Amino acid sequence: MSTDDHAETSHPLSIDVPDDVHSEKLWGYFFRYGWWFALGAVFLVLTNLAKFAIPAYIGMAVEKMRAAMQSGQLDFSMVRSEVIWFGQIIMILAVAAGIARILSRITIFYPGRYIEFDLRNDLYEKLSDLTPSFYDPAPTGDLTSRVTNDVQRVRVFYALTFLHIVNTGLAYGIGIWRMAGVDLSLTLICLAPYPFLLGGILYLGRALFKQTKVVQAKLSDLSTKVQENLTGMSVVKSFVLEGRESDQYSELNNEFYDENMELAVIRGGLNALVALVAGIGTTMLLIIGTQRVLAGTLTLGQFVEFNGYVVALAFPTIAMGWVFQIWHRGRAAFDRIIEILAREPTLEDPADSDDSDAVSLPPVDGSQPRGRVDMENVSFSYDEDDVLHDIDLTIPAGSTVAFVGRTGSGKSTLVKLLTRLYDPDEGTIRLDGAPIDRVGLRELRSEIGFVPQEPLLFSMTLRQNIRFGLDAFDYDETIGRRAPNSALIPPSESGLEPPLSEDQRVQQAIDVAGLRPDIDGFSDGLETLVGERGVTLSGGQKQRVTLARALLVDPRLLILDDALSSVDTKTEHLILDRLEYIMEGRTSILLTHRFNALNRVDRIYVLEQGEIIERGTHDELIEQGGLYANMYERQQLEETLES
Amino acid sequence: MTNPPDCEDNSGQEGSEDSNGKKERPSETAIGSNFEERELGQISDLEIVRRLWKYIRPYKGIFFACLALLPIITAARLLQPHLIQVAIDSHLVPGDYQGLIWVITGFAGAVIGKAAFEYLQFYLMQKAGQSSLVDLRQHIFDHVQKRPTDFFHDNPVGRLMTRMTTDVESLQDAVSSGMITMVGDFLMLFGIAAILIYKDWRLALVSFSILPLLVGLTAIFRHYLRQAYRDVRTKIARLYAHLQESITGMNIIQLFVRENVSADEYRDINTEYRNANLRSIRYDAMLYAVVEAVGSITIGAIIWYGSGQVLQDLTTLGVLVAFIEYMRKFFRPIRDLAEKYNQFQSAIASGERIFQLLDNDEKIPQKDDPKQLPETPLTIEFDDVWFAYNEDEWILKDVSFTVEPGERVALVGHTGAGKTTITNLLLRLYDIDRGSIRINGIDIREFDLRAYRRFFAVVLQDVFLFEGSVRENLTLGDDSISEEEIEQAARAVHAHQMVQKYDDGYEHHVTERGANLSAGEKQLIAFARALVLHPEILILDEATASVDTDTEALIQDAVEVLLDQQTSLVIAHRLSTIESSDRILVLHRGEIVERGTHSELLKNNGHYSKLHRLQYAETDTTSGSPSSDPAAAVGE
Repeated sequence: MSTDDHAETSHPLSIDVPDDVHSEKLWGYFFRYGWWFALGAVFLVLTNLAKFAIPAYIGMAVEKMRAAMQSGQLDFSMVRSEVIWFGQIIMILAVAAGIARILSRITIFYPGRYIEFDLRNDLYEKLSDLTPSFYDPAPTGDLTSRVTNDVQRVRVFYALTFLHIVNTGLAYGIGIWRMAGVDLSLTLICLAPYPFLLGGILYLGRALFKQTKVVQAKLSDLSTKVQENLTGMSVVKSFVLEGRESDQYSELNNEFYDENMELAVIRGGLNALVALVAGIGTTMLLIIGTQRVLAGTLTLGQFVEFNGYVVALAFPTIAMGWVFQIWHRGRAAFDRIIEILAREPTLEDPADSDDSDAVSLPPVDGSQPRGRVDMENVSFSYDEDDVLHDIDLTIPAGSTVAFVGRTGSGKSTLVKLLTRLYDPDEGTIRLDGAPIDRVGLRELRSEIGFVPQEPLLFSMTLRQNIRFGLDAFDYDETIGRRAPNSALIPPSESGLEPPLSEDQRVQQAIDVAGLRPDIDGFSDGLETLVGERGVTLSGGQKQRVTLARALLVDPRLLILDDALSSVDTKTEHLILDRLEYIMEGRTSILLTHRFNALNRVDRIYVLEQGEIIERGTHDELIEQGGLYANMYERQQLEETLES
Repeated sequence: MTNPPDCEDNSGQEGSEDSNGKKERPSETAIGSNFEERELGQISDLEIVRRLWKYIRPYKGIFFACLALLPIITAARLLQPHLIQVAIDSHLVPGDYQGLIWVITGFAGAVIGKAAFEYLQFYLMQKAGQSSLVDLRQHIFDHVQKRPTDFFHDNPVGRLMTRMTTDVESLQDAVSSGMITMVGDFLMLFGIAAILIYKDWRLALVSFSILPLLVGLTAIFRHYLRQAYRDVRTKIARLYAHLQESITGMNIIQLFVRENVSADEYRDINTEYRNANLRSIRYDAMLYAVVEAVGSITIGAIIWYGSGQVLQDLTTLGVLVAFIEYMRKFFRPIRDLAEKYNQFQSAIASGERIFQLLDNDEKIPQKDDPKQLPETPLTIEFDDVWFAYNEDEWILKDVSFTVEPGERVALVGHTGAGKTTITNLLLRLYDIDRGSIRINGIDIREFDLRAYRRFFAVVLQDVFLFEGSVRENLTLGDDSISEEEIEQAARAVHAHQMVQKYDDGYEHHVTERGANLSAGEKQLIAFARALVLHPEILILDEATASVDTDTEALIQDAVEVLLDQQTSLVIAHRLSTIESSDRILVLHRGEIVERGTHSELLKNNGHYSKLHRLQYAETDTTSGSPSSDPAAAVGE
């Protein structure tokens, strides 16, 4: 049904990049280090000049000796010292060529690495700017491959194509100039096979490029199978599917072999051509040159000199075969990279533009609660799907509200709008009176503490994970906020009056999130590494770490997106009790499937198909007799049935 | 309220400090800093080569054919300079045309012959090498399939993936061409040395006089180069660890406005990586240039010293030219050898990692003479079962219970109480430490493991679907299951209606891990799968994942259908499932603290009733009972 071509065009990461942007980027990286490359070209000229001077001295030495021996002289000392001088010149030229070679490689490979360095940084910064509308459809494997493998290919593309194209051009230029100086017609005859061989090399190079892609696709099939097998291992074992899995893998394994052997045929052919290149010049010289030596139109010395040139041209010819592959691979890789670099974030950040409409959040007044949220006629749709429709509400500063509703009712989207991962299609959202799309994006987010539905931690120590949100306050010059020093536990309980040190706050966050027993259980405590080589935390532990992480930020707005779902009910209640002090001074939004905490909140919004169909306190909603009450009643009924 | 957009304004309210109030970012605390390279060197190089040979052995005929081609190819290469010598000494210097045609023919033959034989050799090497890698890959895959569940806790998916893909790939060059071309290089070097000494030993000594210098310089550059490469490898691994985590966690990084800090970290690692590379470029350039220059320097020396020999008639001009030609071929193999040695080293490292994996022979012990599987119906008995994943941390303590044929037993308890462990043990994903688990009175360790597991169908909380059609996911590759059976099972658990929504019905393509299906849909497919397989015993770990009320109603209904069919052991979360169970086992810290029916246990007023109150008495409406006809709701 869907052919490969089809899949190719609808690839989620592909975008149209205008040609001028493309070539501007491509040349931009090159010219940034243009002086390096230029210097490299100079050294390549020097090394080739020195290298191609050597055969002439070999030829002269040979010719001197032959002439001397044929002349029938007895005293060779004059000739000898002259030939020794040639030998010394050759050595000097060799050293000079060597030094120029070292410098040429350094001056060309260095900028290659610098371009790689820049590309990596540029990509990382671009990725930091992109929003879920980019990430959500992007296959992670593909994305990662672009920022890793493709960057390498582009580096090789810049450095090696430049090196080889310039080097081969110079070698041919200087070589032909020198050969023509000896014998023009012999030059043409000896080099006659080279264009054909070069053609063959380019042809096979193209085939190689194509087949390599096929092999790589097969390899990725193989990896995908392994990954599926490993992640589903418990199912494989429980259903005794080892045999089937092994068969499926074997099939892919054999397909991979077949494609690899096809590749081997091409590579072998290329090797054979290369071998021919290395010998064909000398063969031609033997066929034609010997005639001329015997006829006396070419000296023996010139014959030997000539051979030096044709041999020296073999390698630059072969190199063009590589250049072809590197060129194609590099260009394709660059195209994939530019599809990321040329992307513009879908959200406008007022901090980036000189927009005079931009506003700041009003300053925080320690004595007043903060975090008032207003939503005015907010609507949002993904593509065509209407997700939120005409949401209109006000959450007073300092209050705690809950959004309930079924999966797909729009709760999570609401949070994404609040944190400006997406912008609404219509309507305005305000935080403490400031329209959030006119507040600097990062300023806004630095005031939001978010606990995601799926807890995500980084492989750092527990402490680093918990204080993750403080990093920007501490180290980032562009963030206005400083690390807060407020208390997370009432001073009356802890005996600690603000300002608190960072460590005191971390300890309090641990207590509030109910992490204390977990951390005490690790021998390295807070310094325990999280992840593969550290501890693997349970879902509940992870959720509580992400909670502590959000609390430390001391945000205006605290959002808990089903954040305690893996924590058992008892612990959840304990945590919610301790959170009360923190929730007092700011606005808190709870998204939940578990209703057992909802009598605590100031207001409940019931979402259904993107609309708020009910709002009020628990008691009010019960009285109202709507969906919420209905669900609640059903629960009550069940209880009576049980007893 | 409408202040200028600059962040500076914000800092004003926080205190008097401006941007100078920022701290220095500690360098050691980057994302992905939890990275270390693994220690290698446990298995000797020779041992690794020996074990790799085992995979080549089935193709040793081809392998030896390649070896046999080596002398022919080497001869063709060595012949060429000699023929130039003959052309000069016997024809060009004396001016004798007679027989020159044969010299030229011989030269052309050597050139073409070398190309042809090299092609043949390359093809054969690839054939042997690729074939043995196919076997190796399959062996690793099959080996991993046989490992017990413990193994997968110690070896994360990422690491196993690397073993099975990257490491095998890096063996490719070493196995398929490296070894033989290395032998070829040696043959070439010794051949040239022998020929030169035979032609003129004095000139040969002069030619080789520079060799110690070359070897010395190469060794020095290699040493530094190796250090630089090692540095490059660790740095790139760190760089990629950071990148990988940043990509998966970009949302969180952005929401905690840590983009700049993360980018700085990344830039720092990137700088270290670049600098390590720049270092390697310097040494590599020197190594490259030295080898290239040494060839020409030697040619200078040959002319310097050789001119005396020629003029004194101790040697001929042709020999001198032949020496020059041989020298042009002599040094590149030396450079290549160094490069191939490197390649060989990294292949050895990969080989070692692979063999470490293959050496792990943890397994669930299997009886040599397994007992016949018992006749159905089956009775399950847990008798004083003790179990610990880690020594002395008992997860199950003295657990005993019986499940009679057709019974439905629910396991209830807090997270970590040991519910999942019981089902894992029943499936023999782990073996117990004390006591015994019996089926119809026979210890389950007596049975053939895989035959035994066929008694069960398992529905896990986190439903795993394979990439492929819905049908394939239902039958799991068993083609004997008929269309009717599939449909019947799917209908029973409301999966049929769902499947009917797709244009291509049961052929609907499920993407990797079922990413294109909702949690509820995956559940229903898993139920249908369990029914289709007609197990004797069903193990169900009820999902706690939140689904909407209508789907929940469907699932609840489906669970009833599913559990009514056969003996079942359920890790239950739904009240309705628990209530309708024949027996409830309440687990607390690895022990069965209460058992009985729902109403018995409630009357008991013990642990269960407490649990029940906490878990269910409050409003958990999403798991409320079905409000409408479940079938009608599917259309949504």
